Amino acid sequence: MKPIRFTVNGSPREVNCHPSKTLLDVLREDLNLTASKECCGKGECGSCSILVDKEVICSCLVLAGQAEGMDITTCEGVGLTANMDIVQEAFVSEGATQCGYCTPGLIVSSRAFLNSIEHIPSVSEIKTALGGNLCRCTGYAKIIRAVETAAKHQLENKGKLSLR
Amino acid sequence: MKAEAKNEKGNGGNTPFTWVGKRVRRIDGPEKVTGELKYMTDYQYEDMVWGKVLRAKYPHARIKEIHVEKAKSLPGVIAVLTHKDIPGFNGFGIVVPDQPVLCSDVVRCTGDAVALVAAETSEIAEQALGLVDVEYELLEVVSDPEKAMGKTSPQLHPDGNIHSHVKIKNGNVEDAFQEADLIIENTFYSPRQMHAFIETEGGWGKMDEEGFITIKCPGQYAYRDRMQIARALAYNPERIRVISSPIGGAFGGKDEITVQIYLALLAMHTNGRPVKIHYSREESVVAGMKRHPFKVQMKTAVKKDGTLLANRVRAVGDTGAYASLGGAVIALAIEHSCGPYKIPNVDLEGFCVYTNNGIAGAFRGFGVNQVCMAIETHMDMIAEKLGIDPVEIRKKNVYHQGEVSSMGHVVKSSVGTHKTLEVAENCDLWKNREKYKAEASEPWKKRGVSLATSFHGIGMGIGLPDYGAASIELLPEGKFKVAVGCEEIGGGNSTVYAQVAAEMLKCDISNIVVVQGDTSQTLDGGTVTASRSTYTGGRAVATAAPNMVSLLTETAAEMTGVVMEKIEWLPNRIVAAGETISYKRLFDYLYEHRRKTKVEGHFMLPKEKEEIKGSGGAPHHLYGYLTHVVMVEVDTLTGETDVLRVVSIPDAGKVINPQGLEGQTEGGAVMGIGYTLFEDVLIEGGYHKTRNFTDYIIPTIRETPIIETFPVEEAEESGPFGAKGIGEVVMIPIIAAIMSAIYDATGARIKHLPATPERIYNAIKQLKEQEAQPAR
Repeated sequence: MKPIRFTVNGSPREVNCHPSKTLLDVLREDLNLTASKECCGKGECGSCSILVDKEVICSCLVLAGQAEGMDITTCEGVGLTANMDIVQEAFVSEGATQCGYCTPGLIVSSRAFLNSIEHIPSVSEIKTALGGNLCRCTGYAKIIRAVETAAKHQLENKGKLSLR
Repeated sequence: MKAEAKNEKGNGGNTPFTWVGKRVRRIDGPEKVTGELKYMTDYQYEDMVWGKVLRAKYPHARIKEIHVEKAKSLPGVIAVLTHKDIPGFNGFGIVVPDQPVLCSDVVRCTGDAVALVAAETSEIAEQALGLVDVEYELLEVVSDPEKAMGKTSPQLHPDGNIHSHVKIKNGNVEDAFQEADLIIENTFYSPRQMHAFIETEGGWGKMDEEGFITIKCPGQYAYRDRMQIARALAYNPERIRVISSPIGGAFGGKDEITVQIYLALLAMHTNGRPVKIHYSREESVVAGMKRHPFKVQMKTAVKKDGTLLANRVRAVGDTGAYASLGGAVIALAIEHSCGPYKIPNVDLEGFCVYTNNGIAGAFRGFGVNQVCMAIETHMDMIAEKLGIDPVEIRKKNVYHQGEVSSMGHVVKSSVGTHKTLEVAENCDLWKNREKYKAEASEPWKKRGVSLATSFHGIGMGIGLPDYGAASIELLPEGKFKVAVGCEEIGGGNSTVYAQVAAEMLKCDISNIVVVQGDTSQTLDGGTVTASRSTYTGGRAVATAAPNMVSLLTETAAEMTGVVMEKIEWLPNRIVAAGETISYKRLFDYLYEHRRKTKVEGHFMLPKEKEEIKGSGGAPHHLYGYLTHVVMVEVDTLTGETDVLRVVSIPDAGKVINPQGLEGQTEGGAVMGIGYTLFEDVLIEGGYHKTRNFTDYIIPTIRETPIIETFPVEEAEESGPFGAKGIGEVVMIPIIAAIMSAIYDATGARIKHLPATPERIYNAIKQLKEQEAQPAR
């Protein structure tokens, strides 16, 4: 089999697998990046969300062969416990994770959303951005708060917002 | 010793708390938000094999023959197992083990397992399933619980189709119906809700060279899972280790055995190679537990002044093909069918009925959801008919601590209903409801505001063992390892245990390590169900902590020769006559002297002494209470309903972690919205029409309303720092509150859930037709 090459979390990777294996399974099984989860296998739940360039996609709907040349960021690439991203910090401080199984997908979608804005988003904007990620534990209220908090910190860090 | 010793309940002293009652961040937060946490289904092993389960082809059929030869000869197949390969008892079930591990003679639902396969790859395993040839003889399908109760129905189990029948009678309802000024009578139907945990059922099984079996599989009671595995394998349970935490969501749906026994059986046939099973969502929908759909007939009698006189209830629950916890679900439903009220005359009965409609079992609320919607709708109807305020009529009828409930027992534990109603009537949404209702977003949209109250038993009730246990161990680096059986299901009990331990040991929370759900590391402390894990596990930790304080104080005295009275137990250290002794030094001393560094705490839950005759385990000693206020907006052109605001007012006793409590009230409210408005697993003729999240709609972030939480803290004396439970009641009264708010908005009473746009639209249409043609 021809090796498939792509970039994951900034590092070039090469895998030898059947080209019809899903990218999600490649990440989890071949690269041991298990933050991305399978929950529905149909692109309905967002638990397998990853960033490809600037776009959030469901990795369960991409085949390994299609990943050739992609620049992929998983939840692990957003941040690890030693260097958490502000959106991850906000999810912890606002209590936006419970069982945690959907959380990595939500972190990826939230990061992508925050990358695309330079203001503090309205609740409606957050709901649109995260509408594709299912969570059964939290009722989402604290997730909304976490994204607001992260947006504030992002603006502060960019020097565009001063909080007194 | 100068340490201000709190007693084992943690209630002593008036010291302000450092950790308890604070918005302490979840201790498992960082690993969860980075994805570093390994769930059981995340593990990988080089030499692994894949396991798959062959399901029944038909919802009801006799098995004539099972041919496995072709499947076995497929290259890459390692094992194909049938009922003949089960060394022990071929059955499981928490109360009555009536569900076959692998069916031998009859299949009773399409979730039934007939054979297991282990293979080199998932694809080969799947292919092998297709090569197992099962000869069936079709049998008549039982799909209607009411018909199933009749004599002419095919019988699904040797004792018939009525798995259980509970009956509670007090006073004389017939006389009360004669005396009543108003009688309300209705029939309610509730849906087959799916837990829809994000992590489907799955895990690992492995047998080592010495025959020791390890099962890594999310569950809600590792010790009971181990017992059920051992029974099926005819194996010494001491030679099985079950690791059951963490869990990617459960809500009761992983209380029963899921794949643990399959994993153990396959592991016996893979030459020591670890075997993995992980259900697809489609398989989880068919094979997994669901909430019991109920039919509830209720007749309620009341005096003109709003005093409840009598309630008659007949509830029928569809448990599907097997019992699991169905009998207990029906019993709890009947125990709660009169709400938190004192009704002197009651005649209540419930039936748990077998059908071929999948399998139903434990699910957050455990039967109370289905009956609360009936009694609270009745309360709303009565209030309206009598012209009494909905809060006043409830205040008038609720029981207080020390009063007699509708069950006829004196309620001895704390009761917060009245307080929750006071908060409800003073909250902004209720006080200003007319203003908010007038602010509908479109002329064709109507708003309604309503409230409902409910309660939920904490712990197991009478007749079942109910205890908590925890251990605390001093580790070499000077940290405390707190080990509790109750799994981290997502609700945040790990953080609660750390808070309780840190508070009582006077150390920083970072000095606490929590281990849960592992038969080799944690004591048997019961389930993570029944809203019990904060109360029971927290109390067990609070009971163990003083033992650690004693152990280390005595050790410090012995080490230094200072008398016990001069040993000071201070934050993060111990001081002996001015000399600071670190936890690490204490460990080293104990280790050098070959002494144990571990203590235990045990707690038996208080129980009522006398069981209410015929009730199947009622009453509970402890209940949690909650009132919900909601505002909905109904599109009268389409019947679509949005819940815009929710006020959740729980009485969970002392709140150990307000952020964790809000996590429950918010998550419960949204799960309740899904239950009321759109969730239902459709089964026709025994076959699932619902397959995945494409056709089973759970609330997304778009459905999240503004949710406020105002706890009233009626401290429960027996709980850790006064805490009770919270996990289930958070999703119960909201159901009835939404139903009444839809009525408030549109005039249409929905009695068949879910209240889909179609049902609401038709109800509004019917109402208009009635108005156009007034009765002559």
